[in-house]
Amino acid sequence: MSGELEGLLVILSINTIYAYGVFLAASSGQLNLGAAGFVTLGAYASGYLTNGFDGLGLSIVLGIPIAVLFVGTIAFLISFPILRTRGVYMVLATFAFAEVVAGVVINAEFLGGAAGMPVEVFIPFYVVIISAVAVAVLCFYFMSTRFGLAMRSVHDDESVAILFGVNARMVRVWAFTLGGALLAFGGALYGHHYSYVETQNFNMLLSIYILLYVLLGGTQTALGPFIGALFFTFVPELLKAFGSAVGQRWIEDGRLVAFGLIIVLMMVFRPEGIVTRTMLTKMFTRKSRALEAGE
Amino acid sequence: MSILIQQIVNGLMLGGLYVMVAVAFTLIVGMLNFLNFTIPALFMVAAVTTWATMAGGFGADVDGVLVALLGADNRWIAGALFAIIVVTLASLVIERFTYRYTKTKYGDSTEHALPLVSSLGFLIAFEHLVISIWGSDVMTVASPFGNASFYIGSIQFSVPQTISLILSLIIVFLLSFLLQKTKLGRALRAIAERPDTALLMGIDVGKIVPIVYIIAGLLSATAGILFTLNYTTVDAYVGDRVASIAIAGMVLGGLGNVWGAIFGGLLIGMLEVLSIYFLGASAVKISIWGLLLLLLIIRPTGLFGHTSIGKGKF
Amino acid sequence: MSNIALSLSGVSKSFGGLVVTDDVSFDVPTGSKTALIGPNGAGKTTVFNLLTGVYPVDSGSVKLNGKEITHIPAQDRISNGLSRSFQNIRLMPHLSALENVMLGQHCRARSLRHQLFPLGLLPENRWTSQARRALHDAGLEEYPGQIVADLPYGIQKRIEIVRAIVSEPSVLLLDEPAAGLNEAETEDLLALLQRVGSKGITILVVEHDMHFVRNLCDNVVVLNFGVKIFEGSPDNVSLDPDVREAFLGSDEDDEAGSSDFEGDSNVT
Repeated sequence: MSGELEGLLVILSINTIYAYGVFLAASSGQLNLGAAGFVTLGAYASGYLTNGFDGLGLSIVLGIPIAVLFVGTIAFLISFPILRTRGVYMVLATFAFAEVVAGVVINAEFLGGAAGMPVEVFIPFYVVIISAVAVAVLCFYFMSTRFGLAMRSVHDDESVAILFGVNARMVRVWAFTLGGALLAFGGALYGHHYSYVETQNFNMLLSIYILLYVLLGGTQTALGPFIGALFFTFVPELLKAFGSAVGQRWIEDGRLVAFGLIIVLMMVFRPEGIVTRTMLTKMFTRKSRALEAGE
Repeated sequence: MSILIQQIVNGLMLGGLYVMVAVAFTLIVGMLNFLNFTIPALFMVAAVTTWATMAGGFGADVDGVLVALLGADNRWIAGALFAIIVVTLASLVIERFTYRYTKTKYGDSTEHALPLVSSLGFLIAFEHLVISIWGSDVMTVASPFGNASFYIGSIQFSVPQTISLILSLIIVFLLSFLLQKTKLGRALRAIAERPDTALLMGIDVGKIVPIVYIIAGLLSATAGILFTLNYTTVDAYVGDRVASIAIAGMVLGGLGNVWGAIFGGLLIGMLEVLSIYFLGASAVKISIWGLLLLLLIIRPTGLFGHTSIGKGKF
Repeated sequence: MSNIALSLSGVSKSFGGLVVTDDVSFDVPTGSKTALIGPNGAGKTTVFNLLTGVYPVDSGSVKLNGKEITHIPAQDRISNGLSRSFQNIRLMPHLSALENVMLGQHCRARSLRHQLFPLGLLPENRWTSQARRALHDAGLEEYPGQIVADLPYGIQKRIEIVRAIVSEPSVLLLDEPAAGLNEAETEDLLALLQRVGSKGITILVVEHDMHFVRNLCDNVVVLNFGVKIFEGSPDNVSLDPDVREAFLGSDEDDEAGSSDFEGDSNVT
C-alpha cells in the first residue's frame, strides 16, 4: 500500500470515528458543537497514561480504554447540566465546554502546556483502520437496537416518545455520553498514531468540521456519518488532484471553499443529508423486487 | 492602582470592538432565532479587505490607482468603503441561503438548525477563500494614524482606540434608538416576537429580514475595519477569535438583548485584559468560557435576557 | 378487579385565566366503548392530555383500574395500561411503519436486555413478528418497511392506532380516529376496534362522527365548555335538553354546523 493512500485511510478512519461520536448525539436530536473538547481530553489523557517518561507508563491496552472511560465519565456528568439547556443554548454550552477544555489543557504544565505533548507509544495504521471499522459496526448495532429506536424517536418527537414510556432524558444523556467516549477514542488514536498532540489540532474549526460532515452525510441512518467522513476526507483530495492535473492552483486552494459552499447548498436542497431512510428503503425495495423478478 | 485602572481602560477599548460584533450576533439571535456564524466571518472579511486595500493586497495595478487617487496614507478610506460594499453584498447572499429556509417539513431540533449550519458553511467558505488568496499567515500594515495617545492623569488612552470606542457606542446607541422609536424598529421587534403574526399585520417580512442581515453585517464590518486600523495585524482566523469573545458578551448580556450585548461586550473585554494581567494570557479562555458555561447552565438568559429564545429553535 | 377502568373526579384545568376543564367527573366502565363528545373547544383533547400526563391537573383525581395516577409522570402512565392516539398524526416521520408500531412496545421492553437486543439485525424476532401481526390485523400488511412520512394520511392514522394497541393497554384513548378517513376505511376501523374491544380492552374515543359513535359505543359522555353535561347511554344522548342546546343552540332547530349530530339521529 502506498504511503499516501495509507495516510489517507488513517485520516478517513479517524474522521469516521469522530463522525460517529457526533452522530450518536445528533441522531437523538442534539447538536454537539464542542466535539473538539472530548477529542482533546481523549488524546491527552491516553497520551499521559501511556507515556513512560512524563506519564504513567501504562500499557496501551490499559491506557486507551481507561482514558476513554475517564472521558466518558466526564461526558456523562456534564451531560446532565448541558442537556437541560435547549436549542441555541445547548449549542453554545457544548461550544463553551470545548473552549474550557482547551483552556484547562493549555495551562496544564504536566501535559506540556501550549507546546503540546509528545506521545511515545505508536499505533500502526492498520490498528487505526480496524478500530474505525469496529466503531462503525458498533454504531450500526446500536442503531438497530430498541435503544437506537428510542434515540430516533426522541429525535423525531420527544413529547410523544415520553408518552410511550421512553425516558427521553436518559436516552439523550447516554447518547451524548457514548458519543463523547467515541470522540475521545478517536483523539487517543490520533495522538498515538501521529505521536504528538497539541490543542491547535483540536480547535473550534475541528468541532465545526465534524458537525458539518455528520450533517452532510445524514443523521437518519448509521451509514450517514461514514459517508460524511468519506466525503470530507476524499472530495478535497480529489479536487486537489484534479486541480494540479489541470494546472489550476485555485481549484486546489479552493477545495475547502467548495466544502463550505456545498454545505450551504445542501441545506437548501437536501437538508436531511446525503443518506436518508427513504433513499435506502427505495434502494432495497428495488433490489428485492429485482431478485424476485429474476427467480 | 493606576495600573489596574489602565488595564480596565485597555479592556474597555478592546471591548468597544467586541460590542459591535456582540450586538450583531444578538440582533440575529433575537430577531431570527439562530446563531449566525457568518458574523465573525464578515468581521474577518472586512478586516482583511481593509488591510488588503491599504497594503497592496489586490495587486500592484489596483494599488497604483488608489495611491494616485488618494495618496498612500489615505488608502484606508477606500479600504473602509470597499469593505462595506463587500460585506453588504455578502449579507444579501447569505440571507438568501439561510433565513429563507427555516421552514422545514418536520421540525425536529436538528432540522431547526439549518440556518446555523448554513452559516457555518459560509464561515468555512469565507475563511478558506481568504487563505487561498493571501495565505494563512499574519498580515500587517502600517497604521495611518500612528501611535497618537493622550493622557488623563497617568492613564494612557490611545487616540484611534478611543475614537473606535466612541464610534462603536454611538452606532449601537443609534441602533437601539432605531429599534425603540422608529417604524422600522417596531416592525423588527414584531418579527422577533411572532414572525407569523407579523406577516398578518402587514409587515413585509420578506423585505425587512434582508435589512436585518445588512445591519448585522455592517456592524461586523465596522468592527472589522476599526480592528485593522487599530491593531494593524490581521489573519484569516481573526474572526474565530472575535467570535468566541463576542458570543461570550452576547450570552452574558442575554440573547436578543441589544443593551445587554453592549454591557456584555465591554465586560468581556475587561475580563480578558484583567485575566491576562492577573492570571497570565493562558488563563483567559478558562475564565471567560468557564463563566459562560456556568451561566448557560444556571442562568441561560444571561444578566438581562429574554426567555423566549432558544426553545428548540436555532 | 374494579369494574370502572378509568375514573375522573373533579378534574379541573386552567391555562392562564381560561378555564378549559371545569370540575369534570365521569366513569368509564371496564370493557366499555365510551365516546367523549362535545362541540369544538369543549376541552376533550385537554381531558386526554390530563389523563396521559401531558399537563398536570390543577385539582381533582384520576384513577386507572382503581389506582390513583393523578401525579404519576407522563412517562410512566403507559406502563400502567393507558395508551393513546392523537388528533393530529404524531408518528415519527423518519421511521418506518413497523418501527413506529414497535415504539408502542417500548413500555413492555424497558429492561437493559431488551434495550440492547438488535431488533433491526435479526429479521424475525418476537417483537417484529408481533408488530407485523398487529399491522396485518389492521389491514396494513403492505406497509411495514415504508417510511411513514411517505404514506397517505389514512394509512398513517391507522398505523398510529396500531401503535397504541401494541402496548397492550387496559384502556385505549383514541382522539378522533375516524377523522379524514373515507367510508371503507371507517368501516375497517370500526371492525378493528370491535376486535380490540372484544379482547377486554376498554376504549375511550373522542369523535365527531356520530355514525361511528353509534356503531361502536355503548356509553357516551358529553362535554361543553369544559363542563360535563351528560353521561349515559347513546340512545338517550340526543334526547337530553342540555346536549341539544350545546349542539344545536337554544333558538335554532337546525344548524348547518350541527348536522353531524342531528343527521344521524333516528330517535327524535
